[in-house]
Amino acid sequence: MPRDASTDKPLVELVNVTKIYPPDVVAVEDVSLRIYKGEILFLTGMSGAGKTTLIKLICRLETPTRGLIEVAGRDLSQISTAGVQRMRQKIGVAYQDFRLLDKQTVLQNIAMAMEVTYASTKVIRARVEELLALLNLSDKRDKLASELSRGEQQRVALARAAANGPSLLLADEPTGNLDPAATELVINLFRHLNEKNGSTIVVATHDPSIYAETEHRVMTLNNGQLSAHPNRSPRQIELFEA
Amino acid sequence: MQFLAYILRQTGKNLRQTWGTQVMTLLTVTLSVLIFAFFFLIYTNMLRASARLGDDVRLIVYLDQEVTEQMRPGLEKKIHDFGPVEKIVFVSRTEAFARLSAQLGKEKDILNDLGPDFLPPSIEVYPLKNLNDLTRISQFSDFLLTLPHAAKVQSGSDWLRRFGYFTNLLRIVVLLSGSLLIISMTFIVSYTLRLTVLSRQGELEILRLLGATSAYIRLPLLLEGMLQGLLGSGLGLTALYFLYQWIASRFSGPGFLKLFDFAFFPPELTGAILLAGVVLCTVGSLFSIRRFIRI
Ligand SMILES: Nc1ncnc2c1ncn2[C@@H]1O[C@H](COP(=O)(O)OP(=O)(O)OP(=O)(O)O)[C@@H](O)[C@H]1O
Ligand SMILES: [Mg+2]
Repeated sequence: MPRDASTDKPLVELVNVTKIYPPDVVAVEDVSLRIYKGEILFLTGMSGAGKTTLIKLICRLETPTRGLIEVAGRDLSQISTAGVQRMRQKIGVAYQDFRLLDKQTVLQNIAMAMEVTYASTKVIRARVEELLALLNLSDKRDKLASELSRGEQQRVALARAAANGPSLLLADEPTGNLDPAATELVINLFRHLNEKNGSTIVVATHDPSIYAETEHRVMTLNNGQLSAHPNRSPRQIELFEA
Repeated sequence: MQFLAYILRQTGKNLRQTWGTQVMTLLTVTLSVLIFAFFFLIYTNMLRASARLGDDVRLIVYLDQEVTEQMRPGLEKKIHDFGPVEKIVFVSRTEAFARLSAQLGKEKDILNDLGPDFLPPSIEVYPLKNLNDLTRISQFSDFLLTLPHAAKVQSGSDWLRRFGYFTNLLRIVVLLSGSLLIISMTFIVSYTLRLTVLSRQGELEILRLLGATSAYIRLPLLLEGMLQGLLGSGLGLTALYFLYQWIASRFSGPGFLKLFDFAFFPPELTGAILLAGVVLCTVGSLFSIRRFIRI
């Protein structure tokens, strides 16, 4: 559900953001971007274009070399440690490399995200069951993460990111290892979160199948530079330029 | 409530993951507390004993001439001027003779051949009780020797002085074992915690990503240190108590221990040692938390 860009305050705002990895790898270059509350945004681009870097910048896993990043109106360079912690509890991130704990079960991996918010065991249990059902993983609940296939691990990472009903979900290459059926489940989860929970969702992907038909905004990174995806409707371009 | 449950559960998890090291740490802490408390117990008992023995300290100045009534106030003033004195007793030749014959009781016949003048007159000086200061006593005895007609001063403090040396030596041992206690507790506990942190590295990394608060990550580790301190000093003190019981039953009856009235720490002191153990271990865990955990 795209929002009217002119009235809403953006949930995420990047102003002329550049990220240079030492010594001189320019991963993101002079990017300005507004992401609005309730929006679903697709971030495309070739491998090495800077998608992951952009996502890490938004959840403050990396700090920009230049430029300003605001999340929910707060300048990330000014935010305290406790502030970052609070923010991360509200942002769900599904990492490209999953970052699961191999020696823990699927249930434990997902529960971790909710435990840090001190949710009760009962609430956690119910939520995990719900997510596993949505992602067709119910029979894997007590398996160790290391025993799962890549595609299954990918969905567990997504479930963990979605566990707290985050106001912002950052999904980095969420369908890279999935077949069309599983991809469909993931898209449905996004839609579910977006509609039921009002979550803002950013999806970094080079899988055209998941954004080909979408009415949502699609942006492309090219060598660290951001532009509207080619072949998009005038509405998309208009949104981007807002 | 939920918060507490998480912290406790996490602490339990940590303990289970590195239980071998945890047991070793516990033993080290226990042993350090035992060694320190053992010497400290002896030391406190020595202090009490010497305080009690100090009550009996008196200095006897033997004179080569009888002190007349007129001379007494002058002498008393001189002694008082030198230092605080509880009382001064003048003993004449006849009084000394009477005392001795009283002490001999039935055997006093052996004195028959000796005239009542054969014992020297003396002044008995009872300094105020502050035995801690044995040098004061020897100074006092040196001074008394300068009194007119003083022939000899018997301070009876020679063995007290030796007792004092021993107490001082013990003080050093207590300080040393106290330092050992501090070092072993803080270092060992912080070392163990480092292992815990290392064994949980992956998990801590993910917790950071998920926005776990500092309290969520740190409190279980702090609690682990506190627990080590509490259990370790508790066990050490319990072991010492049993050791004390054993010694007391072994050596009961008249003798050394009766003389010293050997006693265990009063409850307040026991509590203080326990608290010190907890504090030290907590400080140790704080060290490694600060060093090894980035938030
Ligand atoms: N930690 C890092 N240190 C140095 N260079 C890095 C680091 N992370 C990424 N880069 C470089 O920054 C550039 C952008 O990387 P990034 O991971 O953001 O790309 P991406 O768009 O996510 O690629 P992919 O689609 O393969 O995941 C690449 O050239 C990469 O080599
Ligand atoms: Mg990437």
